[in-house]
Amino acid sequence: MALLTPLVSVAISILYTPFLLLILCIIFLASIGKSLGVRRLYVNILLKLFEYGRQHIEVAKKLQRSDSSDEEELTVPDDKPPSAVVKENGTNGTKMTVIERQEILGPSPELNYRRVQNGHRAEEGTGQGETNLEFHFYHCMDLIKAGMESIIEDQVTSVFEAEELRSWNLLTRTNRQYEFLTWRLTIIWMMGFVVRYFFLLPLRILIFVIGVWWLIVSTACVGSLPDGPLKQRLNHTASILSFNFLSRCISMVITYHDGEENRPRSGICVANHTSPIDVLVLMCDNCYSLIGQRHDGFLGLLQRALARASPHIWFERSEVKDRHAVANRLKEHISVPDNPPILIFPEGTCINNTSVMQFKKGSFEVGGTIYPVAIKYDPRFGDAFWNSSRYGMLHYLLNMMSSWAIVCEVWYLPPMRRAPQETAVHFANRVKAAVARRGGLVDLMWDGQLKRMKAKKEWRELQQEEFSKRLKGE
Amino acid sequence: MGNKSSLLLREEEIAQIQEETGFTPNQIERLYSRFTSLDKNDCGTLSREDFLRIPELAINPLSERIVHSFFAESHDDRVNFLQFMRVLAHFRPIRKNRENKLNSREEKLRFAFSMYDLDNDGKISRDELLAILHMMVGVNISEEQLTSIAERTILEADTNNDQMISFEEFCRALERTDVEQKMSIRFLN
Repeated sequence: MALLTPLVSVAISILYTPFLLLILCIIFLASIGKSLGVRRLYVNILLKLFEYGRQHIEVAKKLQRSDSSDEEELTVPDDKPPSAVVKENGTNGTKMTVIERQEILGPSPELNYRRVQNGHRAEEGTGQGETNLEFHFYHCMDLIKAGMESIIEDQVTSVFEAEELRSWNLLTRTNRQYEFLTWRLTIIWMMGFVVRYFFLLPLRILIFVIGVWWLIVSTACVGSLPDGPLKQRLNHTASILSFNFLSRCISMVITYHDGEENRPRSGICVANHTSPIDVLVLMCDNCYSLIGQRHDGFLGLLQRALARASPHIWFERSEVKDRHAVANRLKEHISVPDNPPILIFPEGTCINNTSVMQFKKGSFEVGGTIYPVAIKYDPRFGDAFWNSSRYGMLHYLLNMMSSWAIVCEVWYLPPMRRAPQETAVHFANRVKAAVARRGGLVDLMWDGQLKRMKAKKEWRELQQEEFSKRLKGE
Repeated sequence: MGNKSSLLLREEEIAQIQEETGFTPNQIERLYSRFTSLDKNDCGTLSREDFLRIPELAINPLSERIVHSFFAESHDDRVNFLQFMRVLAHFRPIRKNRENKLNSREEKLRFAFSMYDLDNDGKISRDELLAILHMMVGVNISEEQLTSIAERTILEADTNNDQMISFEEFCRALERTDVEQKMSIRFLN
């Protein structure tokens, strides 16, 4: 112990200067909005490493399991980037599907997915009115099969858990348990673990602390200015700066598409929700007003800091249920043309970034222009999804800061307005479809609240109605 | 964190399940990971609530019958992985030139029969058929019409005039139906 202290102090004094220089360099680069390209290089190196690991695993597994299966032989598929893949079952998106779905029941039966369009209806003949209902024993088979398919794989339960990866990304995040395969892989995994937890993590925590401090200081400074165009411009710059700095603490590599034409300056911006990090992702490129519930503690501190410099909408807990109050505040905010656009996540809950769930109609009733944004995280590098039933916020942040990187793509979609005769629900679905299509996500009609609630009885009754219609030959 | 590693599937278990059901090891592993994700309490078995937590299943009119089919062999109202696989094995597509123990045409028909046969006595009575019809159509068709449908269906299939449908009569009624296609689920890999 006595020998250790002088050694440690020597080490600190040697490393002190370059470390400080590194931090200053990062701050400087963030402030001029440029980057050395180090993160992209890092990401590319990681990709190569993952590919190597994945191929190695597939080969090792093949050798291990030398039995011959009665299915096709295992070919090692290419690891394509997420949005390039179009899946079976009529859905676009990267969700891995195991089976060929014949029929998928949903909350709105007219949108039930059916693979074979009424092949067997021809047998029954045309509908002959209610007096001549034909029922056969095989009529139940469709429902049974749909039920069994949903037991093997369904659209909803998987969406509330981390996405399963086709390949292994040194985080052991595939759903299959980590099995010992070869020494080489284990060593790579251990090295990865050491690098992530003992090198990257402390560095990132430091950057996080500095970043938060900077955010609070800069918003205080901007907040002390009198209201006016100067304050808004300064706020815009300062906010983008601070968030860019914070984004380095989880090594974010973000690619923005179509920002020139479609970046919102006002109105309402809607995006699909995967985690609180979405806010960080979007605010690195543009200044938004946030809307949400007032929190205590650390989050409350941040909320107050942000509210000093720019108009945000923070609600008391009691007001949250009052939809009219929310709608009024929204309308108020967008009626002032100089206000920054409001950022809203209409799904209402975090989804795992493979799908988009039902957009709540509240924000689509207010009027004004909607600027949809699609965010897609590359799952190979880190899982950005916050599974709030599994991890608390702190644990989640720790996971984020110890993953390799967060790589994501953001697409700014062209603005959309509600058509004169269109209902808010229809408009919300239209926006949702656009976001899903652009982001390569599955467009689900299910409500995100299914995370916490059971399926509604009415949906089942609607399915019964649908079946009756089939029987009657409609 | 949900430590499910204690329930890792061993090679012998995979081999046993493959022998009994005909699924490939890959498919067994996938279904096992599905099984564990449905098993929210990490106890290695599923309850009825675990099944009904799947929204698509919960809104299926025949959800009770489908879930019940898993519990047919169970004593403690819970399903373990082997029982789970045995039921799913009925829905494997039929392969020519291969042995089909649980997914032959007859087995598939037997499974469908068990959907209707509520009290498991080997015969479908008019009341049982009526109960199933109720489940499937809810309140959208009147009681009289449902009764007449049930009676007509039984009349058409009942060859020995005992007002009940036995398994042989059931099979005969479905002679011309492509049961193999209707009761098979194709795996993609």
